[in-house]
Amino acid sequence: MSNSGLLLVYRGARKLLRSPGTVVMGLASSLFFLIVYNAGIGGIGDLGAFGGAGYFAFLFPLGTVSLAMGSAAGAGQSLHADLNSGYFRRLFLSPVPRWAFAAAPIIADALATAITSTALIGVALIFGLPLRFGPSSFVSVVAISILWGLALSGISGGIMLRTGKPGGARMVTTAVFPLIFLSTTFLPRELIDSEWLLLVSRINPVTYILEAQRFVLGGTGSFADFATGFVLSGCLALAGTVYALTGTNKILV
Amino acid sequence: MGHVVEVRALHKHYGRGTHALRGVDLTIEEGERFALLGPNGAGKSTLVRIVAGLSTRDSGETVVSGVDPGRQPRTLQWKVGVVPQENDLDPLETPESMVTFQCRLFGMNHRDARERCDELLTTFNLEPFRGKKASELSGGNKRRLHCALALVHRPRLLFLDEPTTGMDPEVRRSFWQVLLRANERDGTTLFLTTQYLEEAEQHTDSIALIHDGTILFRGSVRDFKGRVDKTGGVSLEESYLLWLKEHRRKEVACV
Repeated sequence: MSNSGLLLVYRGARKLLRSPGTVVMGLASSLFFLIVYNAGIGGIGDLGAFGGAGYFAFLFPLGTVSLAMGSAAGAGQSLHADLNSGYFRRLFLSPVPRWAFAAAPIIADALATAITSTALIGVALIFGLPLRFGPSSFVSVVAISILWGLALSGISGGIMLRTGKPGGARMVTTAVFPLIFLSTTFLPRELIDSEWLLLVSRINPVTYILEAQRFVLGGTGSFADFATGFVLSGCLALAGTVYALTGTNKILV
Repeated sequence: MGHVVEVRALHKHYGRGTHALRGVDLTIEEGERFALLGPNGAGKSTLVRIVAGLSTRDSGETVVSGVDPGRQPRTLQWKVGVVPQENDLDPLETPESMVTFQCRLFGMNHRDARERCDELLTTFNLEPFRGKKASELSGGNKRRLHCALALVHRPRLLFLDEPTTGMDPEVRRSFWQVLLRANERDGTTLFLTTQYLEEAEQHTDSIALIHDGTILFRGSVRDFKGRVDKTGGVSLEESYLLWLKEHRRKEVACV
């Protein structure tokens, strides 16, 4: 990345630090849901279908997926603020490559996702989260979270650059939120009765992202589940990032 | 001296109806202090945006400091500075952080960026406000900060799009002192658009009048005044108003 691109990433990170409320709230709400769900229905984790790793290990990927979703709108909103304040015009008057305008807030979001998912894992370890492969499990979960975050931030930023509206960017969170419930978030496939829900969960990318994390945390499923989820989140991250970067050609200042 | 701006047969449309520039031809010499004058909607800002690389042309040729703004916008930005009409300051950042950051964007290392920042904040009398948020600055200080930001890389050509709007007379005078010093000492070419015609008369040596997307006069202030009033005893503003009235009368007569 060019020097000016790195400077913009630094600025994006500073903007996030300047108003950390959204990030902190996202972390707090993810922890809240994990603890409450585990306290309420954690007992079902003893069923054989959960693979013997306990319900908390099964549920934990919900935390990282929702955490990335929470910060996904950040890139779009940051781009909207810069467009509205006229800041992009000044960047146009500087020798900054256009793609860096979008890359900077997306990377800043990814950094925030890395930090918050690390914090989430740290707290979850106190509550007994297993790391089946030790540090490799930790790195894998954070990496998948970053890739998922990149995908969502990229889509959010890309929509914002094409529509110029912050509502479009927020729409990503709204649109992706139901995917959590249309997946194997709370129960494994074996315990889902509804045929249509099973079908939807199979075409829902969130399912594969959850299963990849479950393999490295509790050792449930197979390496193929992990590889599928990892590659899928990588493809989504690439698609989202490309969508955002190509959107910089649409900017009018 | 060479041409720093060369514009030939420049056309620009907005949407279906508005023909903002209708075959504009314009050349500006290096080191010139030039003002583009005309009523609101005449095409001044459109012309500035195109030559500064912020907007694209529909047809025609544009060369600014040897660079085609449409094809090499990033190369152009090393050679020109723009003080825009609109406020483009991050309200939460301070003059110090903005100027330093802008210096870094132009490739300066941290130490050089800090030195250049100190120099510009002192030059524009912004030193007392260096740590204040942009949202807390007065209109005049914001305009001076815009100018400081435009000058960080010592451009050879400075576009000033109605730069003194909202400045009180004292601030305006010190603002112009800095710009004229840059022009005299460094040879920076000044390309101004303004509605304050006494400012153009006092600080520039040549003007162009644009009306309805067409340049109708290009020459010195004295020539323009002499053309409108043979005695040359009226101000540029009076001459301009007389010229505009006559031009509109002729337009109506043609219809």
